[in-house]
Amino acid sequence: MIAGDLLALLVALPLLAAVVPLFLAPQSPRTARALTTLVLAGQVGLAAAVAWVAATDGPITYVVGGIPAAFGIGLFADRLTAAMVLLVALGGLGAFVADRSARDGPYLSLWLLLVAGLTGVVVTADVFNLYVFLEISGLAAYALVAHARGADAALAALKYLLVGTVGATLYLLGVGYAFVATGTLAMADLAPALAAAGHDSTLVVAAFGLMAVGLGVKLALFPLHAWKPDAYASAPPAVAAALAALGSTVAAYALLRVTYGVFTPAFFEAVPMVRTLLLAVAAVSVVAGGVLALREPDVRRLLAYSSVSQFGLVGLGIGLASPTALTGALLALVGHAVAKGGLFVSAGAIAREFGARTVGEYAGLARRSPAHGAAVAAMAVSLVGLPPTVGFAAKWYLALGAVEAGSWAVAAVVVLSTLLSLAYAGRLVERLYLGEGGSDPTRGPADPPTVATDGGRGDRWALAVVLVAAALVVALGLASTALADWFAPVVEGWL
Amino acid sequence: MTDVTSLLPLAAVLVPALAVPLILASGARPNLREAWTLLAAVGTLAVVAVTVRSPGTQVTPLGSFAGVDLALRADAAGLLFALLAATLWVATSVYSVGYTRGLGESGQTRYFAAFAASIAATMGVALAADLLTLFVFYELLTLATYPLVAHAGTETARSAGRTYLAYTLGGGVLAFGGILLVGVLAGSLGFVPGGVSGLTADPTLGRAAFGLLVVGFGVKAAVVPLHAWLPAAMVAPTPVSGLLHAVAVVKSGAFAVTRSVLYVFGPDAASDLGVALPLAVAAAVTMVFAALVGLRQDELKAGLAYSTISQLSYIVLGVALLTPLAAFGALLHVVAHAFMKITLFFAAGLVYVETGEKYVSDMAGIGRRLPATMTAFAIAAAGLVGFPLVAGFVSKFHLVLGAAASPHPAFVAAFLVAGVLKLLYFWPIVYAAFFGRRDRTTPASRHPFAPPHDRPEGGHGGAGSSGGRVPAAADGGYLRPTAWERRSPLAEAAPALLVPVLFTVGMAVLLGVVPTALPFWELAETAVAEVFG
Repeated sequence: MIAGDLLALLVALPLLAAVVPLFLAPQSPRTARALTTLVLAGQVGLAAAVAWVAATDGPITYVVGGIPAAFGIGLFADRLTAAMVLLVALGGLGAFVADRSARDGPYLSLWLLLVAGLTGVVVTADVFNLYVFLEISGLAAYALVAHARGADAALAALKYLLVGTVGATLYLLGVGYAFVATGTLAMADLAPALAAAGHDSTLVVAAFGLMAVGLGVKLALFPLHAWKPDAYASAPPAVAAALAALGSTVAAYALLRVTYGVFTPAFFEAVPMVRTLLLAVAAVSVVAGGVLALREPDVRRLLAYSSVSQFGLVGLGIGLASPTALTGALLALVGHAVAKGGLFVSAGAIAREFGARTVGEYAGLARRSPAHGAAVAAMAVSLVGLPPTVGFAAKWYLALGAVEAGSWAVAAVVVLSTLLSLAYAGRLVERLYLGEGGSDPTRGPADPPTVATDGGRGDRWALAVVLVAAALVVALGLASTALADWFAPVVEGWL
Repeated sequence: MTDVTSLLPLAAVLVPALAVPLILASGARPNLREAWTLLAAVGTLAVVAVTVRSPGTQVTPLGSFAGVDLALRADAAGLLFALLAATLWVATSVYSVGYTRGLGESGQTRYFAAFAASIAATMGVALAADLLTLFVFYELLTLATYPLVAHAGTETARSAGRTYLAYTLGGGVLAFGGILLVGVLAGSLGFVPGGVSGLTADPTLGRAAFGLLVVGFGVKAAVVPLHAWLPAAMVAPTPVSGLLHAVAVVKSGAFAVTRSVLYVFGPDAASDLGVALPLAVAAAVTMVFAALVGLRQDELKAGLAYSTISQLSYIVLGVALLTPLAAFGALLHVVAHAFMKITLFFAAGLVYVETGEKYVSDMAGIGRRLPATMTAFAIAAAGLVGFPLVAGFVSKFHLVLGAAASPHPAFVAAFLVAGVLKLLYFWPIVYAAFFGRRDRTTPASRHPFAPPHDRPEGGHGGAGSSGGRVPAAADGGYLRPTAWERRSPLAEAAPALLVPVLFTVGMAVLLGVVPTALPFWELAETAVAEVFG
């Protein structure tokens, strides 16, 4: 009982609290901001509690309004959900505190809505409800991207809106077909119902295809990735960090749930073509993302392309459908969220402090800010996939899964992706440390901040968040076996 | 030997690792910082020495990473490498202090910290109990040595650093593929003397795994054609070149190849799969090719780099021959070459600090100025060629005998040819140093094979031709001096530079005259007995 209420609270708290800053901020921006921070911190606490219960007592279920799940809205939390919810809460809080310059009501409300939407996607057990929360988080994201003002941001937000809406609509179409085939929208009931309807029937295959493509847009798999670099580069730094860490991560989680929880591995066996297509798209994403990142001068765009590549790796894990590979996909998901979020926060802080936005402008900045430099280097190492970070552990599981399954091409792609990521990440880190030009202390931010500054305290928060993220990628790597064991019951339940 | 759980192997890795933050924190106080380095070096040597003397094989389980149990295990081969690295770190630390202070190098804190991190990683490579632990520390070694290669910060140094990273991390990726295959084929990644079972079940996959492992690790072992990073990396400060590129980094590569051939595949599986012969051929080709190219190098460090490439292939060839005698020679050569090569690098660095000379063609007659140094150089070079009474003779003797007794005695020719080529390179250097004249007017002053580098016209003395400092020239250095000033052996160089040179050459002679005096002989014997039964 209590556990179920926790789940509902997890979504309700930020959703309801989102209304408050709209009215509070015009009178007292600082109180509004403090309230938002408090709600986000509370969210972290709730997420931790849910994780505790899920670990000790097993999966939690809840039905909204007491209506049975087959007709109403069900919420569900197993260990994977708990980990994701914790990730969303921490990411939401971390990215928020790292940039203290935004205090207007709409921004704060939208941020809470974003967190609510993302959390909702994670805990929902109903495919249509997933669409609703996907759109809530999406709309909040589009508006937040546009918050930066200026033509670039507006254009990027418009592109993001168009592409995102198309993606969500495709997903909705898929949900519709699934409903037509089975008459239910609850994930738990859909799984046997779809099997009964016949996994290889045109309706069911179409449903999966549409849902997967729709989510693939949100995941930014090649060739549906073009919105990502623009959105991440033009958004305000905190928004970019939150989106990078959480946006596609939650979409990947949704894809996992849909693929393994709703359609089940039996679907893959009935329609092998789907698996091949998924693996092919993911492999191309890995390579394309890496290649596009190689020559990219703008740091945030480079990181966005890197995300395309990393989510390709996750896609490979999803497509391989073996316990080892899935564990690798999950580790890659978590590791990427932490590393990419930290890198974006760092990029934002560096842009604020030194006015550096391109790889060339990053030259020698590690001398002026050694902590940022070391943290960026550590997170880059995780992106590349070198020991002892969680990125390496993820690649190990993925590659091992591929070799065990006899997919040599996939194994080669996973192993060689290290070289690609090395090329673009190494470029950044090398410039950071060995570039010339960082020792001039008189060079300050290139453009003056357009909102009220906070006297430098914000950057200390940003640095703290970055250092925590860097420490986490190493800690999670060292604890990778424990993390894999955490996910094991879920993975085994699926396969 | 029974396995004993203890913290000693972990301590060997942690002592240098803990020195890193201490060194970084004491950047503002150079003497304290150097004290940390020296303390850590002596401490590491003490830990390793205690581990050598302890009965049983010390094991430290390291917990689980990505589902694989990692551990450190101080077996005979691992201890041989660890003891070598620890001993040489002490000497190199003293030398580094003299070198960096003598040249007024910048970034000394980063230098010493990266050095300590590199030694910690080397200890990890040496004492790893399985392929994954080895791989983790292997990659950490690359990351830790990168700041040392690119230390100078110039465009050449950065480019060399990029080349180094590209080659070594690329090799790491290939080795990773090989480790995956071994894991899937054999079910486990632990080192077993004589090889793990299950690798011959599928010959194609087994050969692929062997190839990936050996090529991947062979990058660091500088097997041709994967060797190009080594001459480029000579842009690093000489102590770095000495310890890391003649001892730790390249020896890690050779050591990893040894582990792969003898402890993962084992002599039987390797000969069943038929993979050892291609490796032996590649090693023999490298040996001769590198010796030939090295013959033409006027820059001394480049010549030493090619000599290293060639000598490493002695080790790889010895291992690839799959006989106990050759493997024993290979393990001994790991030690012998390290002491001799580091003496040569130390001498080269000393020459640079004291006189500013980098090129062989400028070193004619330098024996007057640096008698003790050039004597040490001569002895070490003689050892590399294989003259008796120096360590190189003992190891080469066993290698040649092992090759003669192996199924392919033709490889003896490779050893002999390489030896002659080395003689052709080093002998003129030594002869010119003692019997040549600085103005290069006599035939004895010119190297018959290495063309002199382009020097700027005019008589700007030593400073013009080499870019270094010339000790106080009373006439402002306008006239090109015809002879080096004579110095007595005790006054020729800073003690911090000279003492390590004399120490390492002394050890090389000790190992040549009484090879069993140090634990290396026994450790090599034990390792060979474990592997070959």
